[in-house]
Amino acid sequence: MSTPRTVSHTGHDDLVAVEFTVNGTTVSLKVPARMTLSDALRDNLGLTGTHIGCEHGVCGMCTILIDGDASRACLLFACQLDGAQITTVEGLGKPDDLHPLQESFGRHHGLQCGFCTPGFLMSSYDLLDHEPDIRREDLPEELSGVICRCTGYRNIIDAVDDVATNHRDGLPGPKNCGQRTLTGRSPVGSTAAADESTAASDTVQDSAPEKISMPSGEPTIAIDVTTLLESPPQDVARVFANIQLLARCLPGAELTEELGGNWYRGRARVALGPIKLSFNGFAHLLEHKSDRMHVLGQAKDTGGGRAQAEIHLLAVPEGTGTRLQAEARVYLVGRIAGFGRSLAGDVSRRMFEDFAKAVDQAARGEEPEVGSKPPSAFGILVGAMRDRIRSVRDLRRKAPGRQANNPHEER
Amino acid sequence: MKAAPFAYVRPGSVTEVLSELSRDGAKVIAGGQSLVPVLAMRLAQPTTLVDINAVEELHTLRTELSGVRLGAAVRQRTAQRDPAIAEVPLLGMALPWIGHREIRSRGTICGSLAHADPAAELPAVAICLEATLTIASPKGERTVDAVDFFTAAMTTTVQPEELITSVYFPRATETQGFGFAEIARRHGDFALAGVAIRVDAKDRMRPSARITCFGISDIPRVRDVSEQLSDALSKDGPDAPEARLRTALAAAAEELAADVVDTGGDDHGSQAYRRQLITALASRELARAYAKAVRASSHTDEEKA
Ligand SMILES: Cc1cc2nc3c(=O)[nH]c(=O)nc-3n(C[C@H](O)[C@H](O)[C@H](O)COP(=O)(O)OP(=O)(O)OC[C@H]3O[C@@H](n4cnc5c(N)ncnc54)[C@H](O)[C@@H]3O)c2cc1C
Ligand code: FES
Ligand code: FES
Repeated sequence: MSTPRTVSHTGHDDLVAVEFTVNGTTVSLKVPARMTLSDALRDNLGLTGTHIGCEHGVCGMCTILIDGDASRACLLFACQLDGAQITTVEGLGKPDDLHPLQESFGRHHGLQCGFCTPGFLMSSYDLLDHEPDIRREDLPEELSGVICRCTGYRNIIDAVDDVATNHRDGLPGPKNCGQRTLTGRSPVGSTAAADESTAASDTVQDSAPEKISMPSGEPTIAIDVTTLLESPPQDVARVFANIQLLARCLPGAELTEELGGNWYRGRARVALGPIKLSFNGFAHLLEHKSDRMHVLGQAKDTGGGRAQAEIHLLAVPEGTGTRLQAEARVYLVGRIAGFGRSLAGDVSRRMFEDFAKAVDQAARGEEPEVGSKPPSAFGILVGAMRDRIRSVRDLRRKAPGRQANNPHEER
Repeated sequence: MKAAPFAYVRPGSVTEVLSELSRDGAKVIAGGQSLVPVLAMRLAQPTTLVDINAVEELHTLRTELSGVRLGAAVRQRTAQRDPAIAEVPLLGMALPWIGHREIRSRGTICGSLAHADPAAELPAVAICLEATLTIASPKGERTVDAVDFFTAAMTTTVQPEELITSVYFPRATETQGFGFAEIARRHGDFALAGVAIRVDAKDRMRPSARITCFGISDIPRVRDVSEQLSDALSKDGPDAPEARLRTALAAAAEELAADVVDTGGDDHGSQAYRRQLITALASRELARAYAKAVRASSHTDEEKA
């Protein structure tokens, strides 16, 4: 049991600071004292797997683990959780590596509308974790703390019993815990497009973090691209040396402030059809040489998304020109992550190509064309689409059986 | 449903808790399992919540000379897991009946006593076992017997500026046996009616027996039923089968039910239904508790021999 730190008298309009761990990620928040943990998880941290039904402890939808014990997130004020270890359904498994309970719920059709599922998963996790010898006939009573409106109980009991039977010697622990970026959802009631809210949010500037620490685990996008530039290495080195110039080569990016000690403040805009993203954040140059750079970046989108990136740039001589190589690990959270790994990857690769072209221009002494205008939504989308169509076509060619089954394809 | 705004403080010592409680409209929050729903429904709007969970000493659960002391921040589930609970078997029997695991993970023993719900299990257990509560106030400390603690539904002798710091349960002796049972609409709900029983069979033909009924009045009702148990035993003696003893106790249990059940009844159970429940539960659990007490004491007799 964790004992929380003390908190001195905090007025009812003031925020209370709280620090806890959610699924392995340390979180520091400032919350109104009356904000429930369920609201903080969903709204401030974007962990919407914890569902809310009754908000007074009866339905069990909001069940989560605190220091390993199932508890109601709606019956706790977030500020009370100081020092606690919290596990939500997001921590239980990964899409491609489900927890046995999740897998079993699916296999036994224990999911109907799925609204009660997170509560049942966390409640049954606690049960099997503490009472591995539980008998089937005791399951209905022991799981009665969660209510299923679809009345899927029979299958849920089958699913839990199956896992219990197969794990008498111990239930596997949560599979998806680790340091991660957690960001809240858009502020309630705000429907302003990201572009419109940019001005407003620019005035509320966060201070630079002491250190940018990258999440462990798999990045949302991993990029490893190489482009050949016509300019010779010594000209490219000039661009590398001039951070202001280099930043102007980044599509949609803008350097707004040099903070000293290799820290920079900046913003970046991306527009993709209806999606408009505007990031404000910081970059920290860990290494800055004429032929290589190592950069850490962290930025928030005005819509509540967050991005963190680690980038390595390398310029090596190749023939009379230069080979520009980039490796990036990008972690996305929020609605930006929602638009798909592959598309986001396509966009990033396209942006890198634009960046490389601009570096080439700058090396020739021209002003880079990308400037600070957002990368062309149309150009990127079409480019990305073209790539996808191409890869689909390649696949089809490799799979002649499909064509035979689909005569329309021939025409 | 969201709580109205309130000020919040989480002091590190009992003295600081007490000084915070001296503010007008301040309220203790322990596990919050009763208080938070009340706040969410805006049935109460305290100005300040004083969270007692950072006071280290209130988390202590320890065995003392003749019993077990549980601090105000000790959670129900923590108590269930602690080996010391074996010294107070009736408490161990009652705890699993409180809500669900998810509720007991946070709810405290003392919070349940402070909340004093007429259908709650722990107030009945505390009265049955003659537990004592230690209450701190700016004027000093006082000790109250559980039987004098509950004054009406959701009302106790604790004043707004006071804090329950611990509850003390006497250890079970080697000649005691216990019984606990309740009937609820479904598992985890508050009881429609329930009983907590303590029998001491040091003298097998003249045992002492105490029964506390809950869910049937505004506070738990306790009765000494030693006479009735001795009468029932006079027919078959101490080795009477449990079922026969139960039958022999039926009339006494019915009389007890008529005496203690004074609720007007509600949508879930009339007064008459609750009397039937108490009659059935009391006779069964009393017979069982006696059998256990006899078993326990003959066990110790054998050891001594
Ligand atoms: C769905 C659900 C089902 C439940 N089922 C049951 C059940 O079957 N049986 C049952 O008995 N309970 C039940 N409960 C209530 C629960 O068991 C609570 O744990 C208990 O009643 C209160 O303990 P707490 O620590 O949560 O107190 P809190 O909610 O924090 O406080 C309750 C009240 O006591 C006061 N208080 C708390 N501690 C102190 C103290 N040390 N000194 C002075 N005042 C204090 C508070 O100011 C408040 O007024 C249920 C609750 C829920 C949500
Ligand atoms: S939303 Fe928490 S129990 Fe219903
Ligand atoms: S599956 Fe719909 S509520 Fe349970």
